[in-house]
Amino acid sequence: MKIAFKTLGCRLNQYETDALASRFHQGSYELVDFNEQADIYIVNTCTVTNQSDQKSRQTINQARNKNKDAIVVVTGCMANNYKKSLLETNAIDFVVDNERKSQIYSILENHFRGTAADPEGFDKDVFSYEAAYKTFHTRSMIKIQDGCDNFCTFCIIPKVRGRAVSRPAEEIYTNIRQVIDHGFKEVVLTGVNIGRYLDGTTNFERLVENILHLEGDFRLRISSIEPDGFSDRFFDLFEHPKLTPHLHLCLQSGSESVLLRMRRMYTAAQFAAMVNKLKSRFPDFNITTDMIVGFPGETEEEFEQSVQMAQELEFSHIHTFKYSIRTGTRAERMPDQISEKVKNQRSAILRNISTANKKEYYSTMIGKPQRMLIERITSDGTARGYGENYIPLRLKGKNLQKNQFVNVLLTGLHEGKEPEVITIPATAVK
Amino acid sequence: MLANDNLHELIEIRHLTASAYILKMTRKGLKFNAGQHILLGKAGSIELREYSIYSGEQDDFFEVLIKEVDNGVVSKQLKQLHPGDMVQLEGPLGYFTIDTDRIAHDNFLFVATGTGIAPFHSFAKSYPLLNYQLLHGVRFAHEAYEKNEYLPQNYLLCTTAESSGDYHGRVTDYLRTHTVHPETHCYLCGNYKMIYEVFEILEKQGIPSERMHAEVYF
Repeated sequence: MKIAFKTLGCRLNQYETDALASRFHQGSYELVDFNEQADIYIVNTCTVTNQSDQKSRQTINQARNKNKDAIVVVTGCMANNYKKSLLETNAIDFVVDNERKSQIYSILENHFRGTAADPEGFDKDVFSYEAAYKTFHTRSMIKIQDGCDNFCTFCIIPKVRGRAVSRPAEEIYTNIRQVIDHGFKEVVLTGVNIGRYLDGTTNFERLVENILHLEGDFRLRISSIEPDGFSDRFFDLFEHPKLTPHLHLCLQSGSESVLLRMRRMYTAAQFAAMVNKLKSRFPDFNITTDMIVGFPGETEEEFEQSVQMAQELEFSHIHTFKYSIRTGTRAERMPDQISEKVKNQRSAILRNISTANKKEYYSTMIGKPQRMLIERITSDGTARGYGENYIPLRLKGKNLQKNQFVNVLLTGLHEGKEPEVITIPATAVK
Repeated sequence: MLANDNLHELIEIRHLTASAYILKMTRKGLKFNAGQHILLGKAGSIELREYSIYSGEQDDFFEVLIKEVDNGVVSKQLKQLHPGDMVQLEGPLGYFTIDTDRIAHDNFLFVATGTGIAPFHSFAKSYPLLNYQLLHGVRFAHEAYEKNEYLPQNYLLCTTAESSGDYHGRVTDYLRTHTVHPETHCYLCGNYKMIYEVFEILEKQGIPSERMHAEVYF
């Protein structure tokens, strides 16, 4: 039986899709591309913005249009947020909430056996995913945490992912050992608010430290994290060669007053101090971020503060979101909602800064070494992948293989749709 | 369908002013740290709001201090409840808490406006040895919610619409003219404009940002 997956949104969703795909592959299902004709389509949705809702709905319709007889399963945050209306949609066979996402294999097995397959009858468990070995990525994502208790005023995540829960540390170490044994060379920690990880006395810093001590030729990426609750020990961890010098630190706004209205747990000044501390200790450290434009009441002056911060902190990538009302959040009830026209203008300004920052950061890295992990080989023989600083790299050479570490030297910019850096093998340098 | 675990029985409603009231409800053994909040609403309602816990860690009940909002939904619904009615509760949640290792030796400044005093009431009740100064900003003196719960030397009432408080003016006016010791741990709870201003004032007085903690109320 052919099964196709489509993931929208965050890395946590990607991890969960990867784990599900592995489970189905193990169960003798054939994984096919989402654009192909399949017997089952699993759409792992996102609901973080209006745009995410639209994309999720389009994807569900695409799946149904591909094969009107296929089983279409909708899961993810949209399934939690709009469960009732999705259940009324003829295009969908099963709506499975996040808490039961890990049970999709069992739900469908029961369905094909003709036994009880109502998702509501299955146990909730946000961590009961097996280690993925058949994934859509070279990097192996590892879920360490789910849910969030921060209740930022714009955010629907606490409603759709629930309260913060941490996966037992021992399970995480076991999971990582398994994926390293499966041959993965990069592990990415995922969750909704991973910095708040806490299992007994094991907090986030301790967890990372213990992972770094695991044996094997792998590197660890923290990726997306909220900029609150860091101790000095957190910064020390980046001295370890296995921990990659890149963080996606979510700023959201450079304005102190907007951050307060968003009910973020840090000030812009604290955020800047964190970034400056990282960059003073590790000058090439790569910082990327998320920023929201058009939060209710955001004045020109407040937006200018975001612009200034985006320039001063030189984020190499800014994932810009236009604020959109999420039902049930505190910001929904705030006055002075900003027009789409203004949001579009502000979004374009930040995107331009992001493009310029990226080019500048990549240029400063030319002449420096990186350890490239090859993710794919294109038809012309060019290897594409990422260095430890999360810079996209291109390498031409012989005997290159996917999922191989290669020490390279960065030699120049490749101007494509998205800039990449051209490299040569470090061994070629005399 | 509501999980029974989330349902708590209302024990008492104490009306403090025409719009402010305290809801006392069963705790059912839930653990919390002073300064945390709960999500609360009428049983069966999908509308829940965040309220800081007003009671102390040792109390065998939960209390929250609520101000009825003119166009509000939940604050009006909860005000109409009676002892014996059920409320829906999630949590406790949040990180606006005190490192209890600091209580014996350190000084604390609490700055609240209106019902933002709730977490500080919980701090004071939970930690009797706490060395604190509480600035409470309100419009009228009768909004000094249960001020007798605090030792007079710890509590300072700032009133803006009349001069019957300890200080006539905003909490920010008071802070501009009264310097805070740089080693003080400062906790702020109230609307974002007050917090924004107090941050600026304290920063100018040399309080490092890691000693400032804020909980925004809307």
